[in-house]
Amino acid sequence: MRKVAVLKSQNSTQNVQLLNPVNLSLECSLTADHNNLPNISAFWSQDGREIPDSRLTVALENQQYHLQRLFYISGEEMLGSYSCVFENGVRADFILATPPFGEVRDKPVVSYVRDFVVLPCKMEEAKPKPLSWRWFRGNKTHKEQISEQPERFQIHSEERKSKLKVINLTHEDAGVYYCGAVYAIGTTMNPIELKVITYQEPLKPFIGILIEVVLLVAVIFLCEKRRSKKNTSKGNEENVDQNNIKLQEEEKGAEEGSSMRQRKV
Amino acid sequence: MPPAAATNLAHKPPDGGWGWAVVVAAFISIGFSYAFPKSLTIYFKEIQEYFSVSYSEIAWLSSVMLASMYAGGPVSSILVNRYGSRPVVMLGGLMVSAAMVLSSFGTTIIHLYLCVGVIGGFGLAFNLQPALTIIGTYFQAKRPLANGLAMTGSPVFLSILAPLNQFLFDSYGWRGSFLILGSVVFNCCVAGALMRPVSNQKPKGCLPPSNEAVDQGAVADAGPQTADSDPEEGQHEGKGQTQNSKLVDLTLFKHRGFLIYLVGNVVMFFGFFAPVVFLAPYAKHQGIDEYSAAFLLTIFALVDMFIRPFTGFLGNTRRIRPKIQYFFSFAVSYNGICHLLFPLASGYQGLVVYAVFFGVGFGMVSALLFEVLMDLVGAPRFSSAVGLVTIIECGPVLLGPPISGALVDTFGEYKYLYSTCGVLMLTPGIFFFVMHYFNYKKLEDEQKQKAAGEMRRPEETVELKSNNEANK
Repeated sequence: MRKVAVLKSQNSTQNVQLLNPVNLSLECSLTADHNNLPNISAFWSQDGREIPDSRLTVALENQQYHLQRLFYISGEEMLGSYSCVFENGVRADFILATPPFGEVRDKPVVSYVRDFVVLPCKMEEAKPKPLSWRWFRGNKTHKEQISEQPERFQIHSEERKSKLKVINLTHEDAGVYYCGAVYAIGTTMNPIELKVITYQEPLKPFIGILIEVVLLVAVIFLCEKRRSKKNTSKGNEENVDQNNIKLQEEEKGAEEGSSMRQRKV
Repeated sequence: MPPAAATNLAHKPPDGGWGWAVVVAAFISIGFSYAFPKSLTIYFKEIQEYFSVSYSEIAWLSSVMLASMYAGGPVSSILVNRYGSRPVVMLGGLMVSAAMVLSSFGTTIIHLYLCVGVIGGFGLAFNLQPALTIIGTYFQAKRPLANGLAMTGSPVFLSILAPLNQFLFDSYGWRGSFLILGSVVFNCCVAGALMRPVSNQKPKGCLPPSNEAVDQGAVADAGPQTADSDPEEGQHEGKGQTQNSKLVDLTLFKHRGFLIYLVGNVVMFFGFFAPVVFLAPYAKHQGIDEYSAAFLLTIFALVDMFIRPFTGFLGNTRRIRPKIQYFFSFAVSYNGICHLLFPLASGYQGLVVYAVFFGVGFGMVSALLFEVLMDLVGAPRFSSAVGLVTIIECGPVLLGPPISGALVDTFGEYKYLYSTCGVLMLTPGIFFFVMHYFNYKKLEDEQKQKAAGEMRRPEETVELKSNNEANK
């Protein structure tokens, strides 16, 4: 495998995805600036530390200073950041790693005591298929692999997906879990945080809002009752008035009627 | 000038006062009914993992809920006709609440289908219909404005529920969130409590007999306005507050305006929602990143939110109110033209422009959707009308997005989808324009006949009296 970085005056960074142990040739080509020095010195570094006996003098050829080194990447320990550094400070970084996960979930998964939870992990179509999947628990420094135990952990893995089912949760199960996509050269880790809470947690806001609703409904109905009481007492008075007016009108009508009859007769 | 049919209510609509509290209540009920099912999609991914089901199985939950909501329409109408809006809304709130609480303890996906899907869907139906109906009893002169304001509940609630659901999900997982949502949706009962029946409002003692109200109303409103039902039907409605105890008013199928509305709407609904559903996927297909694509929907919702009350206000103006059917026809056609022109949009700016124009169109149609039905059939029959309309619209609403999805999959391109939706909206729009032109003409003719008939009767009685006197 061959990876080339072409530099002018700025640093460059490249991500190199590795699946298997490989002979990797890293090359850096620095375009000469107006100084046009015949020779410049450069060296290689790994993870920030200069690789011993890597310092060379590079000659100017076709307006470029060309630096190349062959690395044999055998295992996970050899992965990391490799850089070629030129005398004038310009450098190219090559970051060697196994395929990274695409979507990283930053919020924790929440589940409940005595319930179960399914922690999913997926390697997208665009990335290479892992050889297998492994799950771990712990922190950055010390990870313990989780093995299948029928009562507690179930692992279901397909080619590109893996799920860890944790059954019968307790508070001790909370923490960070790592799903590992295993390749020949190493394992990519994806952290998933699990939070375990009891049913009382959501119960508090639930009851709070229930009480709010009951109060509002009660207030609305009470106000309405009070208003209708006022109206019926007012309405009774008005009914009495209306009846009086009706009686008066009927009397008037009767009078007129009798007067008409009198006239006709 | 208020159309004749609406005054066949046995009371005069307050057009204000407590009516505005009822608008708030309707705002809440309508908001929950439309926004709640859409906002639940945030939980789908985790529920899918939890129950180890496929994506289509979890999508069924939305479909079951929507189908129940539409199927519950006629049931809701019957209950509202018998008992009024308030008890039905409170029952609905209780149902959705209980459904969510029960589902938070669910152990299988079927459990969720039954609780959230069926019971929840029915509960939301018991919120939507009564909310729309009660506006018709409280408002006459300001009804388009009231309807527009109430329908604004949908985008507002969606804007609130979406981030709320995300927050609940991050804090409590899906079970705790469903439990808390059960209490949140219980607020529908507050909305129901506010929906005081209008007859309780009357400050004076008794109701005038229904017949008198009809005659007074009919004579008073003779003149140049858009009577919205035949005079004979008007008489029937007046005699029957008792008719409301009939289960569902199937005579609506003989009502000209109702049929126009129904036919146009059935076609329209095939293409109404699909453009919203596919806006973000289309954007991503064009290479736009996920957040900008989501932002398009936010722009759309914001425009929708402001256009609805504005449309209600416009519909209320003196120039537009009598011919509000034309306004609705314009709104539907505008949507169609928007979709047809959409494939010309290029780049993110083009999509933003489309989102704004589409937001305007969607908001206009939504604000007027039920107002024009009320205008056509009148407030007393509205409850039955909307029940029948929803159960018939169930088909297009449920089939629309999957058919659109199939269109996209077959052609691999979104532009055919938008062109189809454009045609599906423009055709009913033109249909409405043409049919309502004839309908308005016929209604004016019928109104003139009725007025002529009324004039003759007083003259006859005068003749009779003079004859009697002469005979005596």
